Amino acid sequence: MKRALLPLVVLVALIAMNSCGEKTAVVESGIYQGTIYKVEPEKTEIYVELSDGRILELYFTDQTVLTKKDETVEFSVLAKGDTVEVQIEKIGKRLDPISVAIKGQHE
Amino acid sequence: MSELPNFWRTEIWHPLAVHLPLVLLIFSTLFSLLGLIIKSNMWSTVGRVFLFIGTAGAWVSIYTGKLADAIVVRGLCDPTVLEAHEHAAYWVGWLFTGASLLALLGLNGKLLKIRTVLSVVMIICMLIGSAVLVRTGHLGAQLVYQQAAGVYTPSADCNEFSE
Repeated sequence: MKRALLPLVVLVALIAMNSCGEKTAVVESGIYQGTIYKVEPEKTEIYVELSDGRILELYFTDQTVLTKKDETVEFSVLAKGDTVEVQIEKIGKRLDPISVAIKGQHE
Repeated sequence: MSELPNFWRTEIWHPLAVHLPLVLLIFSTLFSLLGLIIKSNMWSTVGRVFLFIGTAGAWVSIYTGKLADAIVVRGLCDPTVLEAHEHAAYWVGWLFTGASLLALLGLNGKLLKIRTVLSVVMIICMLIGSAVLVRTGHLGAQLVYQQAAGVYTPSADCNEFSE
């Protein structure tokens, strides 16, 4: 049984580490391109992974404009793996997406 | 004229849920440690009961925190504090869940020989969990007292409080 203890503790530690989620980055205001890493529809939130591996956590606001081929589309169109161009305004350390343009959709 | 918001809004459930498990988990650690040191079954039992209730409460707190997250985050100036608070809370949840599993194993009559080992590992989990719990609470307090997370700010003329 003593032998079973170590794997148990390791298991709990692994689960704990796995539950820690994504470490997100704070960037300056500007336009960024990346790939959608995760979509949380109930929070109208997306995680965008930049080419350098940093992940941006973006909560849509009432002012956020979402487009695809220059046409406004619904949030539900967004999916993991889509490539997007986001215009961000940094307020404090909060990143407000001003616009999100879908450049390519994941099949 | 502004209107006073309903008190029982979604983001209020989180502060209502967090304080009981916070106290129970800290005291479960102290009582379990005391029970082990002075070899008192009574303190160990009380510690275990607090641990089980506190761990269940911790997961309820995490659930209500997730509900509050989506509402308050858009008004924060530094959401990275919320992110750190959330990550720390998951650590607390899993560490005390691990401790609870070890406590349950310790109740098994077939494992009497290693009960002390189980208790020591359990208390290590609880001590680390308590330290992370203090940090989680500190981050939560920063969100409320420095960024007014979930806090309604009355209008300058307090009009909404007039009859």
